[in-house]
Amino acid sequence: MATTARKLIKLTIDGKPAQVPEGTSIWDAARNIGIDIPVLCHSPRMRPVGVCRMCVVDIGLRVMAASCVRLCEEGMNVDASSAKVEKHRKMLTSLLLSDYPENSARESSTGNDQLLALARKFAIEHISLPDGAAGHARGSDMSSPVIAVDHQACILCDKCIRGCDELQHNNVITRTGKGYAARIAFDLNNPMGESTCVACGECMAVCPTGALTNKPVTSMRAAVGKQRNQKRGEA
Amino acid sequence: MKAYFLNDIKAAGSSAVATKKKPEVKETDSLCPYCGVGCALTFVVDQEKNRILYTRGRDGAPNAERLCVKGRYGFDYAMHEQRLTTPLIRKAGSYPKGPLSALVKESTGKHKPGGRVDYNEILPHFREAGWDEALDLAASRLKQIRDTHGGGALAGFGSAKGSNEEAYLFQKLVRAAFGTNNVDHCTRLCHASSVAALLEGIGSGAVTNVVRDVANADVAILTGCNPTENHPVAATFIKDAAVNGTKLIVINPRRPQIADFAEMYLRPKPGSDVALYNGMMNVMIAEDLIDREFIANRVDGFDALKKVVADYTPERVAKLTGLPAEDIIRAARLFGSAKAAMIFWGMGISQHTFGTDNARCLIALAMITGNVGRPGTGLHPLRGQNNVQGASDSGLIPMMYPDYQSVKDPKIQAKFEKYWGVKLSPEVGLTVTEIIGAALKGSVKGMYMMGENPFLSDPDINKVRKALSALEFLVVQDIFLTETAEFADVIFPASSFMEKTGTYTNTDRRVQIGRPALKMPGAARQDWELICEIGNRMGYPMKYTSVEEVFDEFAACTNEYKTLSYQNLGPYGKWYPCPDPKTSQGEKIVFGDTFPSGKAKLVPAQVTEPDELPTEEYPFVLNTGRVLEHWHTGSMTRRSQALDTIEPEAFVEVHPLDAAKLGLQEGDWLQVKSRRGEITLKARVHDRATPGSVFIPMHFREAAANVLTNPAIDPIGKIPTFKFCAVRLSKHL
Repeated sequence: MATTARKLIKLTIDGKPAQVPEGTSIWDAARNIGIDIPVLCHSPRMRPVGVCRMCVVDIGLRVMAASCVRLCEEGMNVDASSAKVEKHRKMLTSLLLSDYPENSARESSTGNDQLLALARKFAIEHISLPDGAAGHARGSDMSSPVIAVDHQACILCDKCIRGCDELQHNNVITRTGKGYAARIAFDLNNPMGESTCVACGECMAVCPTGALTNKPVTSMRAAVGKQRNQKRGEA
Repeated sequence: MKAYFLNDIKAAGSSAVATKKKPEVKETDSLCPYCGVGCALTFVVDQEKNRILYTRGRDGAPNAERLCVKGRYGFDYAMHEQRLTTPLIRKAGSYPKGPLSALVKESTGKHKPGGRVDYNEILPHFREAGWDEALDLAASRLKQIRDTHGGGALAGFGSAKGSNEEAYLFQKLVRAAFGTNNVDHCTRLCHASSVAALLEGIGSGAVTNVVRDVANADVAILTGCNPTENHPVAATFIKDAAVNGTKLIVINPRRPQIADFAEMYLRPKPGSDVALYNGMMNVMIAEDLIDREFIANRVDGFDALKKVVADYTPERVAKLTGLPAEDIIRAARLFGSAKAAMIFWGMGISQHTFGTDNARCLIALAMITGNVGRPGTGLHPLRGQNNVQGASDSGLIPMMYPDYQSVKDPKIQAKFEKYWGVKLSPEVGLTVTEIIGAALKGSVKGMYMMGENPFLSDPDINKVRKALSALEFLVVQDIFLTETAEFADVIFPASSFMEKTGTYTNTDRRVQIGRPALKMPGAARQDWELICEIGNRMGYPMKYTSVEEVFDEFAACTNEYKTLSYQNLGPYGKWYPCPDPKTSQGEKIVFGDTFPSGKAKLVPAQVTEPDELPTEEYPFVLNTGRVLEHWHTGSMTRRSQALDTIEPEAFVEVHPLDAAKLGLQEGDWLQVKSRRGEITLKARVHDRATPGSVFIPMHFREAAANVLTNPAIDPIGKIPTFKFCAVRLSKHL
């Protein structure tokens, strides 16, 4: 397949020189030279949307730029890990954690909660913000046989929506509500288990937090097996 | 507040092990065991408990980390409590053989037998045995039948679920030790007619380009397939293409979900495919939308084709297919004027008495428009099983040795006699459907069944049951007690996909390695070792130290695999042919310059009537197929908690207009009767299909669609007509 030759752009990221084709994002350019910029709402498999702001970098302008959507420019000098940038990311992590539930279902299932990984990275031991997760106000949805939905753990990064619509083309997940009441929804705000969801699990796989997680298939299996054995009068 | 993660962070901060007790997990890079897409995935396993905890998609060529519900959540069958763990021998008191479980045929209405074989009904007829006793018994009885009646009295069914190595060894055992070519597998029930037409037309039965090449196509025909449910991850890439501008022409009497993404959706009358494609070719030839240069250089038989399709004017085809003439013309123009166009097809093309003719038409369609061998062009029969391509490549078919080398060719026979060190039968063996017939007649007396369950997957189950009862000796090798095992003399507990090493060839011709994630339960053994044990005990030595050694022996007798090895396949596999595995991934697109047969041979087809047309007594057309959550005879998926929870029961899909006539509501019990049997199941009212036709999935033993289906076969592919038989519906009170 012929790729049309694109103009090459030179820039510096954390003092390292980089050269990328025009149209490359700062996040991708950094990744190419071994600098991993933390991000929650993006993955290389997806169209970047720049909603979580965790990947912000300092490009010498008035405000910091989300590196997943900001394209590289000739001569750009990118600061991806200075104290100023890290302080911003730490604050953002604290803000997200202030609404986060006590138990992340991701930590106890696939064990890769990216928000908690950031909390560890920044060694956030104390959150001086009111606990927005008290009473689990945002609710959960356990209606799908395979995927648990914990709206309290959702950071509205839209990865599940892009996974469902743009990778798997199932077009089930969307957003509903406004402001603080905004959350993801299935079809016309149906419970997930009653929606047109085909349980491909893409949303679960791309979710960075405990919002969409695997229900434990294996232990469910064991429990059902035990019940059946008991019914049959076996051990 | 938030004690959980604060503790966790403190623990991490003090570089101590996490305070929460987590199981020690091991990750195994392997593959999905289900469909022909061949998704690469990782099994994450709690080793102490020998349980898979979850799966994760890998960045494999066929799937780019994507998975579907089966690959993501359908892995727990391997850990099911009903796994066979010890060899079983039929008790003396349980002869003569007959069905052991409750009759499927009887319409017991709401009190129907459960979804799986009832172990309590079957196990009492068997006793546990040691491996030596079971293997000696099997080998000696098979040997005795061979020595008394000749090799032709034996037959073997392998499985497209097994690896290339298992398929290779199994066909070698049947050919070299049994002394017959009576070896076949479920390809006969799926793409046999497509392969027959492709071998005849271009000299190769495999796809000419990979699924994801659809991204380079301007137009793609998807006919007789429902990829959203049957090749779910492939469907996501086809939809990617559609979103990016590839125009899809979706053709299927039962509207598949992917039609939502189509430029055109055509709903021809069931069984009118030949007419439709001849009609499209008629328009293309009349409007000069053909590739004259390609035809001149690469194709034979154009004039004969032109003559035949001349009779298929859009007006006539409109009458035959029930489609408006303008739709036929528009589809022809769309396909004919595309710079690059490809064709996907599925069982809706192949599973007819005229399945080979259907496929011939599609091949001709691609050939006269020059749509093979370039990016975005090609013929892609979507393969069903994870290794149906590889099982056929390995020679698990009665007419060919490995790599489609004909058993009828004395030179090739001599080559394999030398390779395997034994005299071989020069006679073409019997196919799946013919073997069942021969068992019924008594000419096939002994069988070895590895991972096949013809009870549920073959047409006309009642006939299959009689045939299996009539066998003098039957060895069944499987991971569960299947409906077929009820008729066994000896049952070998075997290995599941998650417990073995092997290569599998997906629909794209990509050869990938599956790796073991779990330990086998109890005394269960590796399938490949069991095949060798039988060979050795029958006096034909089959000695290998590893699966890799088997692969190397197989690869060495082929052209397509000969450059491949476990070493160069690596974690992601390669497409075959792969002339230089060091530098290349293999060929995504083949036949850019020439076909294996030289020029392509066009074989014109005339429209023929289905074997069994609806009548007053049986007014409905029955179509069978699969659903997203289940796999074939359900022995795996119905033991998967997630999959069986999502789709727990059999159903018959009835059009709303027919439902109104019959006074049916969604969920009502319905009796469906054909000339061969009857089943009772719940109605689902849906307008996916046309009035006058109904759909039943094949997976559910309590309402097995194949009790009803017609065993009439395609004369060339020998594939049964699963997609068309006449039935009657009546409300079951």
